[in-house]
Amino acid sequence: MQIHQYDVVIVGAGGAGMRAALESSQRTRTAVISKLYPTRSHTGAAQGGMCAALANVEEDNWEWHTFDTVKGGDYLVDQDAAEIMAKEAIDAVLDLEKMGLPFNRTPEGKIDQRRFGGHTRNHGEAAVRRACYAADRTGHMILQTLYQQCVKNDVQFFNEYYVLDLLLDTDLTAAKKPRKGAPVRCSGVVAYDLATGEIHVFHAKSVVLATGGSGKIFKTTSNAHTLTGDGMALALRRGIPLEDMEFFQFHPTGLAGLGILLSEAARGEGGILRNGEGERFMERYAPTIKDLAPRDIVARSMANEVREGRGAGPHKDYVLLDLTHLEPEHIEAKLPDITEFARTYLGIEPFTEPVPVYPTAHYAMGGVPTTISTEVLRSNTDVVQGLFAAGEVACVSVHGSNRLGTNSLLDINVFGRRAGIAAAEYATGADWVEMPQDAAAYVVDELERIRTAPAGEKVGDLRKALQETMDANAQVFRTAESLQRALDVIDDLRARYQSISVQDKGRSFNTDLLEAVELGFLLDLARVVVVGALAREESRGGHFREDFPTRDDEGFMHHTMAYAVATKDGDTAIRLDKKPVTVTRYQPMERKY
Amino acid sequence: MATTSPTLAAPRSPRRSGRGTTRGNLELYGWVFMRVSGALLIVLVFTHLFMNLVVGDGVKAIDFGFVAGKWADPVWQVWDLLILWLAMIHGTNGMRTIINDYATRTGTRLTLTGLLYLAFTVIVVLGTLVIFTFDPCPPGAPADVLASFCTAG
Amino acid sequence: MTATTTSPAAVGEVPSFDVTLRIRRYDPDAATPEAFWEEFTVSAHGTDRVLDAMHKVKWDLDGSLTFRRSCAHGICGSDAMRINGRNRLACKTLLKDLDPSKPITIEPIKGLPVVKDLVVDMEPFFASYREVMPFLIAGKNAPTKERLQSAEERARFDDTTKCILCAACTTSCPVFWTDGQYFGPAAIVNAHRFIFDSRDEGAAQRLEILNDKEGVWRCRTTFNCTDACPRGIEVTKAIAEVKKAMITRAF
Repeated sequence: MQIHQYDVVIVGAGGAGMRAALESSQRTRTAVISKLYPTRSHTGAAQGGMCAALANVEEDNWEWHTFDTVKGGDYLVDQDAAEIMAKEAIDAVLDLEKMGLPFNRTPEGKIDQRRFGGHTRNHGEAAVRRACYAADRTGHMILQTLYQQCVKNDVQFFNEYYVLDLLLDTDLTAAKKPRKGAPVRCSGVVAYDLATGEIHVFHAKSVVLATGGSGKIFKTTSNAHTLTGDGMALALRRGIPLEDMEFFQFHPTGLAGLGILLSEAARGEGGILRNGEGERFMERYAPTIKDLAPRDIVARSMANEVREGRGAGPHKDYVLLDLTHLEPEHIEAKLPDITEFARTYLGIEPFTEPVPVYPTAHYAMGGVPTTISTEVLRSNTDVVQGLFAAGEVACVSVHGSNRLGTNSLLDINVFGRRAGIAAAEYATGADWVEMPQDAAAYVVDELERIRTAPAGEKVGDLRKALQETMDANAQVFRTAESLQRALDVIDDLRARYQSISVQDKGRSFNTDLLEAVELGFLLDLARVVVVGALAREESRGGHFREDFPTRDDEGFMHHTMAYAVATKDGDTAIRLDKKPVTVTRYQPMERKY
Repeated sequence: MATTSPTLAAPRSPRRSGRGTTRGNLELYGWVFMRVSGALLIVLVFTHLFMNLVVGDGVKAIDFGFVAGKWADPVWQVWDLLILWLAMIHGTNGMRTIINDYATRTGTRLTLTGLLYLAFTVIVVLGTLVIFTFDPCPPGAPADVLASFCTAG
Repeated sequence: MTATTTSPAAVGEVPSFDVTLRIRRYDPDAATPEAFWEEFTVSAHGTDRVLDAMHKVKWDLDGSLTFRRSCAHGICGSDAMRINGRNRLACKTLLKDLDPSKPITIEPIKGLPVVKDLVVDMEPFFASYREVMPFLIAGKNAPTKERLQSAEERARFDDTTKCILCAACTTSCPVFWTDGQYFGPAAIVNAHRFIFDSRDEGAAQRLEILNDKEGVWRCRTTFNCTDACPRGIEVTKAIAEVKKAMITRAF
């Protein structure tokens, strides 16, 4: 076991983690721990763009952007946070340009902008060109640019280290909670070096969680195999609540059957969704902005077309994304990667044939609750000192119940930066918090238990069962019955997980062992998603209950806070609480596009 | 302050200390030399072939006297010397590359490379000597094989 | 073995077939670590990629099979490996395109130390990358708003911005195989990306670095890198452009 000491430890090296590292490493001694090489992070898979009201191509301002974000999130957005994001978006884009990001350019040489779902001029009049982009690989460019800057600034990375525990000075899972206002502090993390199997304890004044999403709770997903919600699960297990986890975004245009993402930019550039009968069905669901309605609406409309028998293909189980009316040169220039995906994976030539698409699990709107300064909340009002979160792992909440396209790249840049600054500033003023004597004991025991367990349940079987039940029962359409079915399966799987075993008994590069650990995270998070979805008896944004098809502002205009609490039998239960939504300018209205 | 005594392990991705950069353009000149000389070699070789095989009576005219006649002219001496040197440099470099690619064992590679350089030296030295010490009119040779200028005097 | 790959049927009607993977294994924790070949047969569908078949092996047959992967659609660059003798991304190679009637051989990429099975130590690769100063070097007096750049100037280096650092090019290069000190195509591609960026002012320094004994002059244009690149970057062309820039500078 090795012990390291850093002022700031950043967990995760995607967009948010590296953006934070750039700020923090200039101010104080910083380490970035990542379970992947930084350039493997899933930020790189983001395609379409990053919105900021630069007004480079047409009139725009950040207030319109704020409104779109709030309305897109079905009014569950904390409006102070959305305002900060929309305002700081402009500098975030310009900062990236100064770091060298190769944005596409207008004829005058300025950053070009294009249309994107849910982004409108003057509070919903028409689609506006707000998304700054680099072809359909904006995320790739952001990830590469941030890594380049990290190389330039000599940021210290611990690559292929898995953070498996969060060290707090107070046990928050205990039945007796610390009183209101009592200081609870974070003292570091415990990590596992994949290459050697060695445990490393990182003693830190500030810890920033930037571990990304948890899409692998679903089967059909645009998310990477490694997106197993590690940071969320670690927080949950240490008694920190998770906010709004029932809201999961399903991206409308995943390659049918595969879930691989085809950017919304395809529709921003003029692509049209058609059902099996060739009808442009979005005209019926969102008469004003049609195919560029927010993702929750488009995904639901698509699923509805298929459900009502108007799907395309031999089994009528998908719809079609039609780009054939666009100029091939235009597609090649603006959407080179996604056309290649269609060719590579489905053998479809998008210039001449429409592409089969179906919604794919894409983004967790919920996560570890934070303040607008990215401090992690342990209750509705109290923060954990020295613990910060940014990016998909966090819930500020700027996305509410449905994130607008491009706002995730914005989120990681704006709040990643804020997290880096906040963590460094806190570390500069704070004292070292003593770590528990046996800081690594829990992780060591747990890993050893799984590694040496006699033949029992297999990781692959349990994960498959989990993902299938989530796809079948907690996807675009949900009911009390379907969610209960999912919960029953999850409870059963959690019981079976107790006798999980792995075949690889080695110490070096034991990915078998780590997949087992990650499965534990997925099971915990899926339970929170389903429990939250069961309790929310309304339909809002990405959460649609067929048994409660309308939004209920009387009963549910609040954030869900889910706590894991220890039960007598040694297990945990999920306790739900409410957190009020911050409303500044915009009162909830009916959401029509 | 912390009660633990932290052992500050080195990060896993240390910056490499740099691989002794070679200042100057030696590599560049080497690269350019190979390209330029390669192009030159093509001209040299094909002109050589054309002169020997096509012009006049063509291939039928080649005999001792023909060669002797050419090497009596300093232009052709330099010409053939260039062909010899450049062809040997290019050929040896190609062989060296092939040996490096396919001989994986150090011993084999060193042996083969050594043999290659030996062959290069022998051929280049021998060839150069021949070109410059060549006697076009060896005494006692039958007159019908000699160049015309041997008997002219 | 029944390989029944019919013509690419419509999506949803994908025939399944059996495929045999012949995988190069290496376990550093074994009593006497030694590399060996192992064959696995799994059933696959028409749209399955090599990575899907490998996952079937790992999840159903042998959990100890070790390889890197993340995004599974050719963006993250984790799973470059040598498949049927060619460097490719396992997640971007469809089984049906490989003649599944014969065993598919899968080896780690060549020229980097093997850590376990298909996992290699990427550190030497990233060290070369870091050495070419792969970041924008621009003047201190930046404008308040963005720097202007014309669409043509932007297009000049577009190809090399696509690099995902998967190492498929560098580990397909015969020069790199015999001389591990060679910067390799990937590092040169990433230098190219900045050398030809109109906003950058560090071209001279980068050219100086790549003028090294182990720099661009080692390239002998075998085009292996261009063939291997899963992103379709014209790597050899990029290297040639860097050479040209150096020659223009020198003469």
